[in-house]
Amino acid sequence: MSPARKSKRVVIVGGGQVGSSLARALATDHEVFVIDHDTGVADTFSSMDVEFILGSGTSEDVLVRADVEHCEFLVACTGLDEVNIVACAIANRIGNPQTICLVSRDDFLSAGGKAIGLEQFGIDRVLWPEAQLAADIERIVTAPGAIDAEVFAGGIVRLFEYRLGAGSQLITSQVSGLHLPRGSLIVAVKRAGRIFVPRGATRLVAGDKIIIMGTPDALRAVQALVHPGTTRDRQRVTIIGGGDVGFQLAACLETSPSIELSVVEGDPDRGAMLAARLSRTLVLNGDGTDLELLESERVGQSDVLVSVIDNDEKNLLASLLGRQLGVPKVITRVSRPANLRLFELVGIDVALSARGSAVASILHQITGGRASLLAVLEHGEARVIEITVPDTFEPRELKGIGTPEDAIVAAILRGDRAIVPRGDDQVEPGDRILVFSTRAAADRVLAYFGAEA
Amino acid sequence: MRLSLVVHLTGVMVRLFGSMFLPPLAVALAYGELRDAAGFAAGGLATVAIGHLMRMAGGSSAEDALESMRRVEGLAVVSAAWLLIAHLAAIPFAWAGLGLVDALFESMSGLTTTGATVIQDFSAFGHAIFFWRALTQWLGGMGVIALFVAVLPRLAIGGRELFFAEASGPSDEKVSPQIRRTAVVLWRLYAGLTVLEVVALWLAGFSIYDAICHAMTTLAAGGFSPHPLSIAGYQNPAAEWVIIVFMGLAGANFALQYRAFVRRDFRVFHRDDELRVYVAIVAVAAVVLTLAIRGEVGPGATVRVALFQVLSILTTTGFASVDFQFWNEQAKMALLALMFIGGCAGSAAGGPKVVRLLLLARYAIQELRRTLHPRAILPVKLGGRVVPESTMKAVIVFLLFYLLTFAVCAGIVIALGADLVTGLTAAIATLGNIGPGFNQVGPMSSYADLHPVSRVALTLAMWIGRLEVLTVLVFLRPEAWRGGRWTVERPVGAN
Repeated sequence: MSPARKSKRVVIVGGGQVGSSLARALATDHEVFVIDHDTGVADTFSSMDVEFILGSGTSEDVLVRADVEHCEFLVACTGLDEVNIVACAIANRIGNPQTICLVSRDDFLSAGGKAIGLEQFGIDRVLWPEAQLAADIERIVTAPGAIDAEVFAGGIVRLFEYRLGAGSQLITSQVSGLHLPRGSLIVAVKRAGRIFVPRGATRLVAGDKIIIMGTPDALRAVQALVHPGTTRDRQRVTIIGGGDVGFQLAACLETSPSIELSVVEGDPDRGAMLAARLSRTLVLNGDGTDLELLESERVGQSDVLVSVIDNDEKNLLASLLGRQLGVPKVITRVSRPANLRLFELVGIDVALSARGSAVASILHQITGGRASLLAVLEHGEARVIEITVPDTFEPRELKGIGTPEDAIVAAILRGDRAIVPRGDDQVEPGDRILVFSTRAAADRVLAYFGAEA
Repeated sequence: MRLSLVVHLTGVMVRLFGSMFLPPLAVALAYGELRDAAGFAAGGLATVAIGHLMRMAGGSSAEDALESMRRVEGLAVVSAAWLLIAHLAAIPFAWAGLGLVDALFESMSGLTTTGATVIQDFSAFGHAIFFWRALTQWLGGMGVIALFVAVLPRLAIGGRELFFAEASGPSDEKVSPQIRRTAVVLWRLYAGLTVLEVVALWLAGFSIYDAICHAMTTLAAGGFSPHPLSIAGYQNPAAEWVIIVFMGLAGANFALQYRAFVRRDFRVFHRDDELRVYVAIVAVAAVVLTLAIRGEVGPGATVRVALFQVLSILTTTGFASVDFQFWNEQAKMALLALMFIGGCAGSAAGGPKVVRLLLLARYAIQELRRTLHPRAILPVKLGGRVVPESTMKAVIVFLLFYLLTFAVCAGIVIALGADLVTGLTAAIATLGNIGPGFNQVGPMSSYADLHPVSRVALTLAMWIGRLEVLTVLVFLRPEAWRGGRWTVERPVGAN
């Protein structure tokens, strides 16, 4: 089996949040160039193993200096859409990279999400972080009781994260004695800020967050176990903030007939636009941090509160109010990653950042090869990796393989079936295995499986 | 308002109408009804002459006039043309023996596609006269469709500017923005459907004459029949089914039908809110009526009779396949309710129109929701698009004036001696261009016994109702007449 990953050359135009997160994630294994015209930004990159070039991404000279001719990927993620587009266009004339362009307005995307108008610039992929965030939030909203939800392999493998309350059935027993439905597996436990893969003897306590992966049917049964009584059909969702993310989310959620949706938006004109474009959503004109409004509209009786105003302080306040009013699940948008920990500390289950979603999505695309990074969870602390078993592999039982500490084989994909393995399940050539591991263990996992002959 | 312009354009329309006297003239000659033939000749000549004189008096050329026409002038032309043509079309009726008031009533009933009659003895009139009745209705229907789909939305009466957005649709081509092209296209559809019905009725057993007369009045949602007992006089179930189908089409939006049948885009039927409500009303009313008249009619016929009458009243056609005057009160109540609804906008049907009532209902529901959610933004939508507040107001005002006009007319008729039911139903049957009411003005009776002033009032009601009330009532305001000057343009340097 050849080395798990080939080192790729990646040029990043724009050293902002997205750019720096990408650089940090890719620096160890790939050759990374970062271009930005702001000197202040340069400091962020001095500690990383990347080449920083001061200049404008729209200048051909600068791009040549960044060796765009030989790079495989170019990610344009400055704050200006036009700069991003031009950088991609020039890059395509100099070399032949796969270009990924970030935009912030929906003018460039048509109804189907395709960027027809931008194809002439040779841009391979257009990313709209707000839309990505809306999609991520939608997955979590539609998973009752869960505080995070991911989907893999076209939907045949799912991941849910739950917080265990004091009355949960799963507490006190050992993991080995839990009798989870066949087809599901606890892949990780997060306790006191630390994430680890549980052993059979691990005991779960109240306040733990557990990550479970498995087939959709098995997970439905698990959900009933973890949160009995939350499998009601109707869900009341309140969205605070009718900006791009709020609107996308509402448009997506209202297609589901079992969801009752309201949106609170402060700007009356924006509210009128939302009321015109949405068909099943109740649009309220008011301030999402206004307790009186929240109480009169009985927001406390919602099942989910999503706060996606474009302002961290207001989001924090709205989320806390929601918690106070008794909403069981609160999802918040965070603009500055530095604030993410703070939100979790005050008890807000899910804090997502648009840029974080974008970064994760781009990393998916860049790290191709035998092993692909499918998901980055817990703010980078954990990941799900897909590894393709080479044809030279000898079929053997899973328990005969032995994975490193803090990693676990969550699923075996064979054909179009997903098998959540027990120790006696076979791993065969051509299988794709999904491995859940912490960040620290990830290198060892890849080395381990890469070394298999 | 430039009176000269109004007179000129009205004259143009009147002169055009003059040629319409030829077909009945031919029919009269074919059947040997020479006295009536003379009446048509006289009427035709008078119409052409008056039209021509008005054109000349007005002065400027027709094209320029249309371009520079202002809104109030447009409304005046429409109102005046309709009124004047009704008077001229009455000439053959008067010539044939009807009194002046009655001749005008009958003529207006034809042009406004109402179908109420003052004729008591049908045998006293010839084939040509009944053909003329049918023809005036057919032409009236054509005029309505052209006007209300092509022209009046520009004049924005009672919210009309909104109604044809759906027929055009966001992803579809518009049914031609040009007035003339739109009108011609719809006329072709109208004429095509008429021919289709003639063939169908003939196959069902009607004579060619009867088939033509009935097809013309069905598509126009008019309801005149050469037979004194309306459709009941033919006792022909197959023909009744044919008429049921075509009444249904006559009451639906023609622009929508154009898109569906000619452009083969049948999805529009599913998307149009008004059409869905229209079909729902027909279905519900048919069920209610079927239950109400069980026992009044023979068993096999109940559904057919109920469906026929529901469609006849809803689309304001006004045919009767049985004498529903003898139905029980519950059945009549169902019919009365339908009289206040009307057909779809964009058809030749009268009444307030389904779409207006739909908008009113939605508006009311939103206001109810607003009491629960005072901070909510709750726009009224039609076909997925938001209805502006101004349009909503126009619809509400229209409905208020409609009811006001109804009340005044009913009041006049009752004050002049009719009973309550007669007065109320006569008023709505003429204002809504339906035709038959109950009691004294039932389907097999005539309006002849009403007081002459009542008949005049009801004639005016037909005119006002056909033109969507506001078109005419606006002229009660002095401001509409202000600046009424007579200007005649003299071509520069011409001889």
